[in-house]
Amino acid sequence: MRAFLDNLRLALGTFLGNPLRSLLTLLGIVIGVATVITMMGLIEGLRTKVNRDMGRLGAHTFQLTKWPAGGFGRFNWAKFAKRPDIEMDDVRAIEQSCPSVGVVAPADDEGGQKLATVNAETRPSVRVFGTTTTYPMTSGIAVQSGRYFNEVESLDGRHVALLGVDVADTLFPGIDPVGFEVRIKGRPFLVIGVLQRRGSFLGMVSMDNQAIIPLRVFQQLYGKSRSLDVDIQAKDPSLFRKAQDEVSNLMRRRRDVKPDEASDFELHTNESVTASFNQLSQVITIAGVGVCLLSLVVGGIGILNIMLVSVMERTREIGVRKALGARRRRILGQFATEAVLLALLGGTLGVGLGFGLVFLGDWMVGFPMSVPPWAVALALTMSCGVGLLFGIYPAARAAKLDPVEAMRTD
Amino acid sequence: MSHASGEGRLIQVEDITRVFHVGGEEVRALRGVSFGISRGEWVAIIGQSGSGKSTMMNVLGCLDTPTSGRYMLNGKDVSRMTDDELAVIRNEEIGFIFQTFQLLPRETALANVELPLVYRGIPARQRRERAKAALDKVQLTHRMHHRPNELSGGQRQRVAIARALVAEPSMLLADEPTGNLDSATGEEIVRLFEQLHQAGHTLVLVTHEPKLAARCPRAIRLSDGQLVADGPGRDVALGVGAGAAVGGA
Repeated sequence: MRAFLDNLRLALGTFLGNPLRSLLTLLGIVIGVATVITMMGLIEGLRTKVNRDMGRLGAHTFQLTKWPAGGFGRFNWAKFAKRPDIEMDDVRAIEQSCPSVGVVAPADDEGGQKLATVNAETRPSVRVFGTTTTYPMTSGIAVQSGRYFNEVESLDGRHVALLGVDVADTLFPGIDPVGFEVRIKGRPFLVIGVLQRRGSFLGMVSMDNQAIIPLRVFQQLYGKSRSLDVDIQAKDPSLFRKAQDEVSNLMRRRRDVKPDEASDFELHTNESVTASFNQLSQVITIAGVGVCLLSLVVGGIGILNIMLVSVMERTREIGVRKALGARRRRILGQFATEAVLLALLGGTLGVGLGFGLVFLGDWMVGFPMSVPPWAVALALTMSCGVGLLFGIYPAARAAKLDPVEAMRTD
Repeated sequence: MSHASGEGRLIQVEDITRVFHVGGEEVRALRGVSFGISRGEWVAIIGQSGSGKSTMMNVLGCLDTPTSGRYMLNGKDVSRMTDDELAVIRNEEIGFIFQTFQLLPRETALANVELPLVYRGIPARQRRERAKAALDKVQLTHRMHHRPNELSGGQRQRVAIARALVAEPSMLLADEPTGNLDSATGEEIVRLFEQLHQAGHTLVLVTHEPKLAARCPRAIRLSDGQLVADGPGRDVALGVGAGAAVGGA
């Protein structure tokens, strides 16, 4: 312990004796660790957001779609494009012949729409949803002012619309838009309600930049030959799995899918969407650790280099220490401690820089990032390991020096 | 008790040889040297360059081991010890005083003096006390927080002497201690050695300067790796007096 403290003091002395050189040497480790910390912060932030935002579907609700979830995986678009569309007939069949299913809400949507009033218009980035009266039950949306459209308006295909908060703010700054008219794809719609704020998805895509209209009108405007996304709520939480099985079996029957063939549609739950993201984030994490390891090796070579130089410069000192009674292990310990301390210092600076970048990112793009404590621990441990690994050879060289020879050098 | 021939003697070397291999050639630096030094003696080892006195100094200082022969130091056979065992012996038995001082440039005088105690595993507070006491013996307590480059040559050598004294070794081994000093300062150091001798320390001084060796009560002359004279310092150093020379081999 006493020896360790002495070594620590000596190592600090070396660092303070040549801070610029030490810092330059550490650059590799600093950058490597900063990269991994930033990356981990980004992923952890994403994960938290995804887990929250992906919980869009209401309680015991799942979704039937043509396309796989989220677009996170690698997939073969052509293969999925050949799948049959999900149509209103499918929706009606589910309503009629799946006993465990409670509420069904088909929906279709089109992004990049421009909404306008006489005085104002939005950027062409609004997502327009066409759906039915059951949608508020399955999707967790809520109306802030005004009301949702009713069965008559839905079946009749009335030109009524609910606006997201962002759209309402752009078109009707400072006033309640209920009762006013907006134009969607050039057609006039009566605003009957404003949706409650939902925030943004992953901090980038606002979920309040949208409008909801009856599905029937939507299909008149944007065409019918499109696949529907169908939100399906089980009658009861205990029937959640059963409802999924019923829907799956029904769809397979309707499409004549052979027992040994894969389904040509997708069922998503909040969990399955989150899981597919988590899988991706795992891949990124592993890649991140790989990048970190690589730059740590680069940093380690820097340490190897500086320690060899340091041993050479201090050959005489080592000779004197050995002459005065330092054993090999003591000299080894002194230089190994120095290497580890250097690496640890680099790691710490890297963690600091990483946190700085994370906070900067948070502040600049409003992206909530958080660095998991295990990433910090891992980065620091790996730094120490690198210091030891690359410091041990120069230290062993120092320990083996012959005191007489060593004291003779200048 | 120690071996019969080394009994009562601090240092007993018997038929020491040291052979170096330099580029395939054999250099026989020591060719069978034997002598003994008792506790409290002040002995100069003198010789021209190439006489083997540096090799003798390294062997006596446990910085090197002899090729053959036996070296008993304070009752211990150190001639076949490993690197680490020798380090312990150096730490406990020998106080080095080098021609070029060999102080650590980045450390203060006090820290330099503490160094042998660091390797003996003595707690920091005790180290400090003992180092201060040693610096007091060489009248340098007022400079103890200075680094070597802020000290004069004489002061540096006195720091080195304090460092040699601090661990209370059984002998002080000085290698050309005045070689890098002007004559006035050198004289100061020699006076200090005289005081240490009177205080009972065992002193071995390796030098090529006859004038310095003449001040020692006893001197040993090496030539071509062999002991050629052993007697009172004056006689051996200046080459006068009968009986000084040992019968050549």
